[in-house]
Amino acid sequence: MSHMDHLEVVGKSILKKESPDKATGRAKYTGDYTESGLLHAAMVTSSYAHANILNIDTSAAWQVKGVRTILTGEDSHVLTGEEIRDRPIIAKDRVRFFGETVAVVVADTEAAAKQAAYSMIVQYEPLQVVNSPTQAIRKGAPLVHPNLGQYKAADGVNPIPGTNVASLIKIRKGQMEKGWSDSEVVIENTVSFAPSDHAAMETRSAVAEIRPDGHIVIETSSQAPFAVKKYMGLYFNIEPGWIIVKTPFVGGGYGGKAAIQLEPIAYLASKAVGGRKVKIINTREEDMVTSPGHIGLEARVKLGSTSKGEITAAEIIYWFDGGAYNDKSSDVARAAAADCTGPYAINNLYCDCMTIYTNHPYASAYRGYGHAELTFAIERAMDALAEKLGMDPLELRTMNIVTPGDTSPTRNMLNSSNLGDLRECMRRLRNLSGWDEWKVKQVDANKVRSKGISCGWKNSSMDPNASSGAIVSFNPDGSLNLECGVVEIGTGTKTVLAQILAERMKLDPSQIHVKFTIDTAITPEHWKTVASRGTFMGGRAVLKAADDAIRQLLDIAGCVLRVDPEDLEVGWGKVFVRSDPAVHVDFKDICYGYTYPNGNSIGGQIIGRGHYIQRQMTYLNPETGEVGPEWNVSAQAVEIELDISDYNYKILKAISVIDAGKVLNPKGAEGQVMGAMSMGLSFGNRETFIFNDQGIVLNPTLRDYPLIRYGENPEYIVKFIENPCLEAPFGARALGEHGLIGMPAALASALSRAAGVHLNHLPLFPERIWRTKMRVPYDTV
Amino acid sequence: MIPFNFEYYEPSTIQEAVHLFKVLDDQGKHPLYYSGGTEIITLGRINEIYTGAVIDIKNIPECSTLAIHNEKLILGCALTLSELHDSGLFPLLGETGAGVADRTSRNKITLGGNICSQIIYREAVLPLLLTDSEVRIAGPGGMQQVPINQIFNQKLQLRKGELFVQSITDTSYIHMPYTAVKKRKVSAIDYPLVTIAAIRTNSMIRLAFSGVCSFPFRSQMIEEIINRHQIPLQSRVEEAVNHLPAPILDDIKGSAAYREFVFKNTLFDTIRLVGGG
Repeated sequence: MSHMDHLEVVGKSILKKESPDKATGRAKYTGDYTESGLLHAAMVTSSYAHANILNIDTSAAWQVKGVRTILTGEDSHVLTGEEIRDRPIIAKDRVRFFGETVAVVVADTEAAAKQAAYSMIVQYEPLQVVNSPTQAIRKGAPLVHPNLGQYKAADGVNPIPGTNVASLIKIRKGQMEKGWSDSEVVIENTVSFAPSDHAAMETRSAVAEIRPDGHIVIETSSQAPFAVKKYMGLYFNIEPGWIIVKTPFVGGGYGGKAAIQLEPIAYLASKAVGGRKVKIINTREEDMVTSPGHIGLEARVKLGSTSKGEITAAEIIYWFDGGAYNDKSSDVARAAAADCTGPYAINNLYCDCMTIYTNHPYASAYRGYGHAELTFAIERAMDALAEKLGMDPLELRTMNIVTPGDTSPTRNMLNSSNLGDLRECMRRLRNLSGWDEWKVKQVDANKVRSKGISCGWKNSSMDPNASSGAIVSFNPDGSLNLECGVVEIGTGTKTVLAQILAERMKLDPSQIHVKFTIDTAITPEHWKTVASRGTFMGGRAVLKAADDAIRQLLDIAGCVLRVDPEDLEVGWGKVFVRSDPAVHVDFKDICYGYTYPNGNSIGGQIIGRGHYIQRQMTYLNPETGEVGPEWNVSAQAVEIELDISDYNYKILKAISVIDAGKVLNPKGAEGQVMGAMSMGLSFGNRETFIFNDQGIVLNPTLRDYPLIRYGENPEYIVKFIENPCLEAPFGARALGEHGLIGMPAALASALSRAAGVHLNHLPLFPERIWRTKMRVPYDTV
Repeated sequence: MIPFNFEYYEPSTIQEAVHLFKVLDDQGKHPLYYSGGTEIITLGRINEIYTGAVIDIKNIPECSTLAIHNEKLILGCALTLSELHDSGLFPLLGETGAGVADRTSRNKITLGGNICSQIIYREAVLPLLLTDSEVRIAGPGGMQQVPINQIFNQKLQLRKGELFVQSITDTSYIHMPYTAVKKRKVSAIDYPLVTIAAIRTNSMIRLAFSGVCSFPFRSQMIEEIINRHQIPLQSRVEEAVNHLPAPILDDIKGSAAYREFVFKNTLFDTIRLVGGG
């Protein structure tokens, strides 16, 4: 043993600590919860997208044996929403989207609750429907929220009362007139896609109880248990100390479980039955449309460039389809606005980014937080520009990418730490994809193969005061316990945090026991498990907690070994003298205090604590910028084979090159990126809600809402470069979302090249390609 | 979760099953014959099917028959699509059935359940239509055997309480050249935009379709057009479109215009694959 031996836990593929439980089906999720005396809630949801509620006939429902209470919009006047307080917990007087909760039944059994829900008769008076952002901003469009001006809105949200604009963000940079006059070539391109779903494997659920002592205990499948605690306090005017939120494993979040929606319903239900424990669990259909989903977009991008391909001006308009309630959609739009140009240095910029109310299911966060969306708009425009210039699309991108010394759209100065190395990613992509060999080729009479590319960047925009905490404690065997507020949503983050702790303690990671369940009463807060910030913020907090524990270990070991703590080091479960490692004491002999042979004892339990708050975050200010934290980058490619006789196609290969800063767990990182790529391809190729002209979702079931399945996947190639972010633990950059961001754009690029048409609307069903080719317009979709 | 309670019966003979149906129906229990249960479960949980009593027919020996007698292939209605496929006894039926849903579901979905489904595609019937199979139907009056082409019109024309027990297919058909092509909207697993099953007898190509219209069918008119060998195939295919028995389906899987495009392509490919076109 020598202190020079480094364990190097970081950088190794460690099996996820929760895998044995999950692989054997023993892992428990919120919906698995059951106990005697538990009551069950079931929802009645709206069959109209926009209608007045005239009457709710509950008489037949009350006849069902076991019904305890029935709640309607009359039972709570609270309006919820993190950005705009616009959403009643149960629809009141009016429904604004298909699937909105209209009534809630609480009964002794789930079957009774459902039966009663099915026997309720709701009378509606249909209203004119706002079925797209285009319709919403038309003069004389019906208003989804006539009272928009009276709602409370958070900082940075700019609603325009009297319209369907929930928020307008303007980004301005440089001089547009100069930009246009310097341009020799101008293109304009529009894109669109409708809202869709996250389709996490676990449908959302919540259990609420109001204890006789006044504590409100909520168990929920949430990415944000600490936000649930905060907002439940705010909505119901309860001191947060009385609210306890618990979260076990979460079966996939993708942003959808960062929204607060079932928790207030469960709370109201429990309150209505004297505080008894009530459980509510979404059916798949409810999870798809009643709970919030993935945002839609219409966008127009106009680019001007010199004849050599240097972009001189960009005018970008985003109309995000946030649906009937704002939830996080205006914040998704804010994130998209801040990075609105994609990873290109454009000095003359005009961007209007609007979040639009429609009568669609509403949107929350979705993996990538507005970035796959803006990337699709920008990258399609880049391809159009390359075509008009007669330039190689990869060359055009390479010429214009941001590099250290450039500024972001909000005028932040970019450097090699706060900006990933996109040039190197693109160089690697060029080789991996064989870009220079061919871009499109005929395989046989009907088959054409082609490639498409996309660049992407993403800033993990978050609340400026977001923080993370960690506690490290010891077991009598000298092993460690790690507790922190990151929710294990399937990303393996807690295993990576254990690696970080093991690395700093110079311990084998098997000596780190991780607590998975979050209990906000005792678990240190982690803002939200979103924005690819788990490893970054949680990691920094864990390192600080480790250092705190090490300091305490050194102090007591110094007494025991009668040396200056500064001459000591930790490693391999021991504290030892740096220059003479044979002089040592084991963790197990000091972590609960040290006992001398005669029984005298000193010290006590060692508890390490750590926290982290990202420095210098500010609210978005288009004039002065939004400080980071950092922009991470990816370069991606897709290769497809299109059958030009019927427009069916296969996705053959998908490639991502990502600047990971430092790869902490290679297999874990690869899995994260691959999963994100699959999700991005699924979004680009098939996932969408299909609305009829009355705003009704025609496919709110997995029968009719397809996802990419095993066997349909292409060959995935995932490569990392390591250009460290100096503030991140071991330099590790965010990578949970970057695999998704460029996939829809790269797919559209490849298919457009093969089909010889411009494909700008998602998803890319073969029928859509056929229609574009044949110039057959869509009637309704 | 299925929100309603229902009774469960497990008869061991056909007579008992048919009798039970009558008794339960008289009691107003809306009985359903139950085999794989996929449709009762999936539609029951969203309140689109209601029953107060299910009659499980899986333990009736005739319903699980898989045998060849006197050059007739006899298939019980409770055989699963997976069993039919894996047996290899009727490759066209096996392959057509293997296009339905996914393997896990096909381990439950049965021949009878698919043909009598509320869901409009009923693809397992196509091979039976092409091979002039007969079906045994049990009812209050006993068992009768009828040509499927007589009793299948859009769906199996069963009277209340009648049970489709078996199909009987002349094995000479089974060795004829065949093909089955299914085209879907986008995924590997979905309902059809167009499914075409075909066999080539000594004299002609026979064709049956699902997904094109709102019901599966075999059309003598279309067969006649397609077998006019003196006319170029492309023209015959174009002509066939004019003789569909109902408007082309127009729904979330595909518009009528796109389905027509896919139908023509698929018909063209099918004929080339089955040969003799």
